[in-house]
Amino acid sequence: MKIIVFIEQIVSTQVKLQGVDYFDSTRVSEDDLVINPSSKNALEGALKLKDQLGAEVTAVCVRGLKPNKALREAIAMGCTDAIEIADETIYTDDPLLLAKVYVEALGKIGEFDLVFLGVEEQSTGSYAIGAMLSEKLGLPSVLYAEEIEVIDSGYKVGHVLEGGRKIVAMPNKGVISCSDSQYFTPRYTSMRGILTAKRAEIPKWTAADLGLSSSVVGKEAASLIEVSFSNIVIEKESYIIKEGEPEEKVENLLAKLKEDEVKLGA
Amino acid sequence: MVKTLVFGQIREDIIEENTLGVLNKLTEISGISEIIVALFGHQIKDEWITELGKHGASRVVSVKAPELEVYLSRPYVKAMLEVIEKTEPKLVIAAGTVYGEDLIPRLAVHHGVSCAQRINDISIVGDDLHFHTPVRDDQAMKVTRIEGAIKFATSRAGAFFVNENPDGGSPNVESFDVTFSEEDMLVKHIEIKKAERTVNLKDAKIIVAGGRGVGGKEQFQIIRELADILGGEIEATRACTDVHWIEETYEIGQTGQSVSPDLYIAAGISGAPQHVSGIKAKTLIAINTDEGAAIFNFADYGIIGDLHVILPILKQKLQG
Repeated sequence: MKIIVFIEQIVSTQVKLQGVDYFDSTRVSEDDLVINPSSKNALEGALKLKDQLGAEVTAVCVRGLKPNKALREAIAMGCTDAIEIADETIYTDDPLLLAKVYVEALGKIGEFDLVFLGVEEQSTGSYAIGAMLSEKLGLPSVLYAEEIEVIDSGYKVGHVLEGGRKIVAMPNKGVISCSDSQYFTPRYTSMRGILTAKRAEIPKWTAADLGLSSSVVGKEAASLIEVSFSNIVIEKESYIIKEGEPEEKVENLLAKLKEDEVKLGA
Repeated sequence: MVKTLVFGQIREDIIEENTLGVLNKLTEISGISEIIVALFGHQIKDEWITELGKHGASRVVSVKAPELEVYLSRPYVKAMLEVIEKTEPKLVIAAGTVYGEDLIPRLAVHHGVSCAQRINDISIVGDDLHFHTPVRDDQAMKVTRIEGAIKFATSRAGAFFVNENPDGGSPNVESFDVTFSEEDMLVKHIEIKKAERTVNLKDAKIIVAGGRGVGGKEQFQIIRELADILGGEIEATRACTDVHWIEETYEIGQTGQSVSPDLYIAAGISGAPQHVSGIKAKTLIAINTDEGAAIFNFADYGIIGDLHVILPILKQKLQG
C-alpha cells in the first residue's frame, strides 16, 4: 500500500509580519519556515494508516522557500521517503496549476492507493486543491475529513459538516483532505526519525522532469489573475487597554463602557 | 450584463442561510442581469422556491433524483454541469459551506479554469468581474479576476446579510432529469450526526466566548460564571470543541452557528477568520495576551491581558 502526502511549507504565523510582508521572502529567516499545520494534519492521517496497515508514505513538497527542510521533518515524523519538486517556472498561486503539477508528480511516482492533503493551502488561502486534484484524477474523494476507519470495502470517513458530522464510505483508492480535528493532531518527531531524516536522500524534480513547461504551469498559464494585493486598513475605532495593573485595566474598561452607555448584563 | 447561477443549498430541510445572503448580495450589484438558482434533491419543496424568490431569485432550475437526496461530490457535479450547460451563466457561485467549497472547484476544473474563494465582495469592472478575498487573518485584501468564459466563486460564510423582501417575485421554475451510473456513486452516504442544539445562540443577546487561550476543560468555568452573572450564553471556537473542552453545541463560526448579540465578550480568541465570520455583534470586547491577535481588529473595546486574571476581577467588580 502506498500513500502520497502533498505538503506545503509556510512562514510561521508566529512571525509578526503585517499583511503583505508575509509574502516578502527577504524578510523571512529559515527558522521561520514551518510545515503548514493543515499539511501536518494530512501527514498524521497518512502515518496513522502506516501504523495500522504498514503503508509506505511519501511526502511531496512543491510549495515553500526551503522545501527540503519541510520534507526532512516529514521523514522525522515517520514518512518512508520524500520528493522535492522545485522549479521557479511553476506558478503555485493558482490552485488549478498546482493540481496539474500534482497529477504529473503522481504519474511519475507510479502506483499509489491514497493521496492525502491538508484542507487549506495557507500561503494563498486556497481551499480548492483537494477538490481540484481528485476531479483531475477522476478519483473519489472525501474533503474536510475528521476521522478515518478501515473497513472491508475501503474506508469509513467522518467529515466536517456545519452543525454536525457526515459519515461516508469510500473505496480503497482516492483522495482525502484532513481537517484540524483532534484525530489528526500531528505527532512529534522521534530521535530515530530525526537521524533517518538526516541521512535521507531526497530527490529533486523539476517541471521538465514531469514533462511540464511554463506554458502549462507557468504564470502565463494561470486563469486566476491577481489584480491587487493590499494591507487592510481598519477604520474601526477601538478602545484597547494595554497599560496598568489588571485591576486598573478592568476599572478603566468599566468606566469607559459606562461613559459610552454600553450595558453589561441583561 | 452578468447572468448568474447560484448553487441552492438545503440544510435541515430549509434553504441554507449563507445561500440567501449570496442572493441578497447579488441583487445589490448593478450589472447582474438574472439570478438563477439550481436546486437538487429527492424532492423539491414549494416553500424553498418561495423563499428563494423573496431573496432575489428570478428563476429556479431543479433536478430531482434519489441520488441527489444528500450531497455527494460526483452526482452533484454531474447535475450542476448539466444545469450550467442549459442556463449558460457567466458567473457560478456558491456559499462557502463545506458543500459549496467542495463543488465549485470541481466545476471550475471541468471548465478548465480556477476559482475565486471565500470572497466578501464582487465588483464589475468593464466587462469583467473582480473578486475580493480577505487573506492572512484578515490583514490583507486580495483582488482577483478569472480568465475564462465562466467565472466560478465561493463566498465567505457569514459575509453577506440576509434581508427578506416580502414583495419578491415568484421565480420561474423548470426541472429536468439527470441519470446516474454506479461510477457516480463510488462514495456512499452512511449517516449525518447532528450536533444537539440545546442552546440557541442565534437569538442570544449576550455571549461570553472562549477560545484556545482558555487552556482546558476546567478553565472554562470562569467563562460560565461570567456568562451567568451577565445573564448571557457561553460559546466556544472550534479549537475548543475539537478537544472537548466544551460540547460541540456551543461552537460558532464557519462550521458552527452565526450569532448577532448586543454584547460579545471574546476571551482568549485569536480572531481567526473562520470564527469571526460567524459574529455580528453590536459591541465586541476582546481579552487576549497577544497584542497582535486579529480579534483586536474587530473589537470595540479590549484589554491586553491574561483572561484568567482579568475575568475573575471583572466578575468580582460586576458582583460588587
